[in-house]
Amino acid sequence: MALAQHMVGRSLGDRVILGAVVALAALWIAPVAWVVIVSFKPNSELMMSTASALHPPYTLKNYTDVAATSGVFHWFLNSIIVAGGATTATLILASLAGYGFARTDFPFRNVLFVLVLLGLAVPEQALIIARHQLFTDWKLHNTYIALILPGLSNAFGVFLMTQYFRSIPKDIDEAAMLDNASRFKIFWRVLLPLTIPAQATLGIFTFLTYWNDYLWPLISATRPEMFTLTVGIASTQTNFAQSEGLGFLMAQAVFAGLPVFIVYLFFQRYIVQAVAGAAIR
Amino acid sequence: MNASVWPNAGVANKPAVTEDALKIFTTLLLASVALIGGAGLSFGADKTEISVARFFGACEADYGNVTDVNKGYGECGIITAMMNKFNAESPDTHVKVDIVEWPGYDQLTARIRSGEPPTISVMHESVISDYQSRGLLEPLDDGLKAVGIVASDFTAAAKAGVIKDGKIFALPFDTHTWLWHINLNLFKQAGLIDSAGGAILPKSANELLAQAKQFKEKTGKPYFIMVLANETAAYTRTFDTLLYQQGADFFADPNKVKFASPEGKTALTLLKTLYDNGDITKNEDYSATVSGFAAGEGGVMINGTWLVNDYVVEAKKPGVPLSNGYAVAPFPQLYANPKVWADGHSWVILKANLTDAQRKSAYSFLKFLWDNDFQWARTGHLPASQKVIDSADFKALPFRSVLAPLSVNGTALPAAVRHQFGVQDIEGEEVASAMRGDKTIDAALADMEDRVNKLLQSK
Amino acid sequence: MTDAATLGAAPPRTSAKGVRNGPDWRNGLFILPFLLVYVGLLVYPLFWGMWISLLTYDMFDKSAIFSGLDNFRNLFSDTIFLGAVRNTFVFVLLTVPTFVVIGLALALALNRESRNAAVLRAVFFGASVLSVTIVTIIWKIMYLPGRGLISVVLGLFGIAPISFLTTSSLALPAIAAATVWWIIGLPMMLFLAALQQIPGELYEAAVLDNASRWRTLRSITLPSITRTFVVVVIYEIVAQFQLFGQALLLTQGGPNNTSRPIVLFIYETGFRDWNLGYAAAASEVLFLLMAIAAMAQYVASRRGEAR
Repeated sequence: MALAQHMVGRSLGDRVILGAVVALAALWIAPVAWVVIVSFKPNSELMMSTASALHPPYTLKNYTDVAATSGVFHWFLNSIIVAGGATTATLILASLAGYGFARTDFPFRNVLFVLVLLGLAVPEQALIIARHQLFTDWKLHNTYIALILPGLSNAFGVFLMTQYFRSIPKDIDEAAMLDNASRFKIFWRVLLPLTIPAQATLGIFTFLTYWNDYLWPLISATRPEMFTLTVGIASTQTNFAQSEGLGFLMAQAVFAGLPVFIVYLFFQRYIVQAVAGAAIR
Repeated sequence: MNASVWPNAGVANKPAVTEDALKIFTTLLLASVALIGGAGLSFGADKTEISVARFFGACEADYGNVTDVNKGYGECGIITAMMNKFNAESPDTHVKVDIVEWPGYDQLTARIRSGEPPTISVMHESVISDYQSRGLLEPLDDGLKAVGIVASDFTAAAKAGVIKDGKIFALPFDTHTWLWHINLNLFKQAGLIDSAGGAILPKSANELLAQAKQFKEKTGKPYFIMVLANETAAYTRTFDTLLYQQGADFFADPNKVKFASPEGKTALTLLKTLYDNGDITKNEDYSATVSGFAAGEGGVMINGTWLVNDYVVEAKKPGVPLSNGYAVAPFPQLYANPKVWADGHSWVILKANLTDAQRKSAYSFLKFLWDNDFQWARTGHLPASQKVIDSADFKALPFRSVLAPLSVNGTALPAAVRHQFGVQDIEGEEVASAMRGDKTIDAALADMEDRVNKLLQSK
Repeated sequence: MTDAATLGAAPPRTSAKGVRNGPDWRNGLFILPFLLVYVGLLVYPLFWGMWISLLTYDMFDKSAIFSGLDNFRNLFSDTIFLGAVRNTFVFVLLTVPTFVVIGLALALALNRESRNAAVLRAVFFGASVLSVTIVTIIWKIMYLPGRGLISVVLGLFGIAPISFLTTSSLALPAIAAATVWWIIGLPMMLFLAALQQIPGELYEAAVLDNASRWRTLRSITLPSITRTFVVVVIYEIVAQFQLFGQALLLTQGGPNNTSRPIVLFIYETGFRDWNLGYAAAASEVLFLLMAIAAMAQYVASRRGEAR
C-alpha cells in the first residue's frame, strides 16, 4: 500500500518534471523558430520592426534571393571538400598508426606513443601563430591543403584506433600469421574491417569538427572563393546586412544550417555516440 | 589453410554507413575538385581578369543584373550597377568583385601577406599611408596620365588625401563627411523652424542643450538619434568633430596624441550631458538608427553623407514620418570654427607581379570609375572630381549646395598618423565608456591617450 | 585516461615464418605517415611558437628581434590582456557549473525509454551540430536591441528594450547564455551514459526503502557518476577556456573590454595588428592557464575520491 502510494507520488512528480523539461525545450526551440519566421519576411518590413514577423505578409523572396545570389553554395562545397578530404585522410593515418602501435613492435614504440598522447593536451591556440607562419612561408594559404593538413596532427584519432585495435582478440592475428601473411596484409585484410565501428565514430567526429571549424579557416582562407561555410556565414554578419537585409541573412543561415541538421536527424544515434564518446576519452 | 579460416567473429555489426560512406566521400571529393577546376576554366579565356575588392555591401539580389547606373540607388546599388556595366561593356577586361565586410583591412592585409592580394582595392584615404609607407601600393601617376587623369582634376580634399611623398597612390572617389540629418516635421512640432521653413540649428553647446530640452518637451522624443551600439566609428567621428571645432590640434605630433586636454574634456562632457539628459536614443546600433530616423524616432540623426540619397527617396513617400520633412546640414558649428570630420574613399592598385594586360585592364577600370564620379555622388558623398563639383548636374542634386562648404571644412587626421582605424576603435570604445558612465571622463581621456600612444608605438 | 597511456606488453613473439618477431623498424612504417604530420604540424609549431613568443616580429619584412621575456612582461602590464584573462575565468565560472547542473538535471529527467524523452533529448542535443557562426546569427537576432526576439517579447509586456550586448554587465553573461544553449547536449549525453551504467537493483532497493527522490539522488545517483562528473567538468573547463567565435561575432570583445576572452585577444593581436611575438606570448600564457586549471580540477577530484 505504502509502496503503491509512493509510486503514485512519484508519477505526479514525474509529470511536473516532464512539464518543466518540455517548457525548457520550448525555450530551446524558440531562437531557431524565430530565425525561420524572420526569414520569411520581406527585408523592408524588417527594417522598420521585427515584431512584424508575428503576422503576415510572408514571402519566399529571401530564399529565392539566396538561391540566386548567395555564396552559400560555394562555401558549402568548400566545406564538403575540406571536411570530406580531412576525414578520409584522418581515417587512413589513424588506422595505420593505431595498428602500428597496438599490434606491432618497433624501436621506441612506447616512448613514441606517450609522445603522441601528450599532443592531446596541446590546445590549437598554442600552435596557430606558428602554423600560420608556416603556411605563409610555403605560400600555401587559400588552398584546400592548408585547410585540411593542420587538423590531421590531432592525436585523438590515433588514440582511439589504438585502443580499438588493442581490444581485438590476439588469436585473430595469430591465425593469420600462421598463414605467412605480411603485417600489412594482416592489417588490411583482417583487422581493419573489424574496426568499422571505431572508424564510424572517428569519421563522424572528424567530419563534424572540420565542418564547424572557424578560427583556422578564418585566418587561412582569406579569399572569398576559398571561404568555408562557417567563415562565409560569419562574413555576412555585418552592420549593413543587418540593416538592409535581415531576412536575407536569416534565410542564408537556414540554408547553411539545414543540411547538417537533416543529417543529424537521420544519423542521430551515431552522431551522439561519436561526439560523446570522443569527449570521454 | 586458406583465407576463409580467418574469423571475423566477436565484433559488433558494422553500420553500413562507413564503407559506403568512404566510397561516397572519395567520389564526391573527386567530383567536386573536377567541378571547381572546370568552373574556374569556364571563364572567357579571352578577357583579362582582374579582381577588385570592395565593401559597400552585397545587394546582388536587387541589382545583380542591372547595368544602367541611373537605376542604382544607395552605395551598394550604384557601385554594383557600375561594375556590372563595366563588365558588360568592356571588350577586354572582366572584373571579379570580392565583396568584403567594412572596412576589410584585416582581410586585405592577410591576403597581401599570403602573396595573393586583389588587383585593385577600395581604401579609405585615412588608411593609405599605412600601406604606402610599407611599399605595398603602386604609384599611379604615369598610369593615370596615360588614361587622361591628372592631379589637377582632383578637388583639394581629394588631392590631400591621395598624394603622399609627392606621388599619387590612389584614385580618389569621394569625400565623405559628418552630417545632421534632420526631421523637419518633428522640428516643426518642437517650434524649431524659422520663417523660411528651414531648421533652427544651435550655434553653441549651450544653445544645443536648450534646444534639445525644448525638443523633448514639445515632442516627447529625444533630440538625437546616434549610433551607440556595435560600432566605434560613429563615436569617434562626433568626438573628433567637436575637437576640431574647438581648434584642438590633438595630433600635432603624428606619433603621440593628446586627448587629456580641456577641449577633450569639454567635448566628452557635452556628449555625456546629452546622454544623461535623455537627449539621445539609447542602445541603437547602425541599422536601428537608419530605420529609426525614417520611423521618426528623433529629430536629428548624426551620420554621414552616404545616407542622403536614401532619405531623399524616403521623404518623397507620402504618409511616412519623413514625408516632405527631410533636410540635411553639415555638423553645425558649435565652437570656434566650422570644421567637421571627413575622410574619403579611393581605389588603390596593390603592388604585385601584374602582367601588362592586367595593368592595362586595371587602369581602364579606374578610368571608368573616374568617368562615373557624378553617378557615385548621387549617393550623397561629395565627388572627388573638381569638374563634377562645379557642374550644374551636381549642383542640381538635392541639398548639395548646402553641403558644398564641406569640401573646404572637411578635416582629416594628419596623413602621417598611422593605424587610423585602430585609433578610431580605441577612441570610440573610450568615448562610449564615458558616455555610458562606465568610467569617469578623465579616466576615459587618459586611457584613450595611453592606448592610442601604445598602438602608435607598435610597428 | 592515464591507464590507457601505456601500450602494455609488446605483441608475442611467435615463431612464424612470414612475420619478423620482435621490434622491427619496418613496423614503424605504419606510424610514419601520421608521425610526419604530427611532428611537422604539431610538435614543430609548438616549439616554434614558443620561440616566436620571445621575439618582436615585424609583419612585413619578417625581421625578428630577440627580446627575451619582454612580450610576457608587457602582457602582464597590459590592461586589455589582464581584462581578457579575467573575462575568460569569469566565463568559465559562469558556464561550467551551468553545464553541470542543467546537463545533469536534463539527463536525470530524460533517462527513460519513452518516445517523448527521445524527442526531447534530440531537441537539446540538436543545437550542438550547428557551427558557431550560425549560432551567433541566431543569438544576434535574439539580442538585437529593439529588433531581437527578446526585445520583441519584452515589448509585448511594455518593457523597454535592453541592449544585452552593449551593456558592460550583461555582455559576457549574454554570451554565456548563448553558449549554454549551443552545447548543453554534450554534458547531458555524457551524464545520460553514466546514469545508464548504474545498476537497476540499487534503485529498486531505494524504492523499497521508501526513500525520497532527493535522498535517492544524493545517496545513490550522485556518488555513482562521480567519474563522469569529473570528466565533464574538466572537459568543459578546457573547452570554455577557448571561447572565441561567439565573442568575436556577438560583441567584438566589448563593451569596454568586458567580454574579450584570451583567444580573441590572440586573434586581434596576431591577425589584426600583426604583432606576432606578442600574440604568441599570449597563447603560451593561455596554454599554461589551461593546463593549470585542468590539473587543479583533476587533483581536486582525486583527493575527493581518496576521501
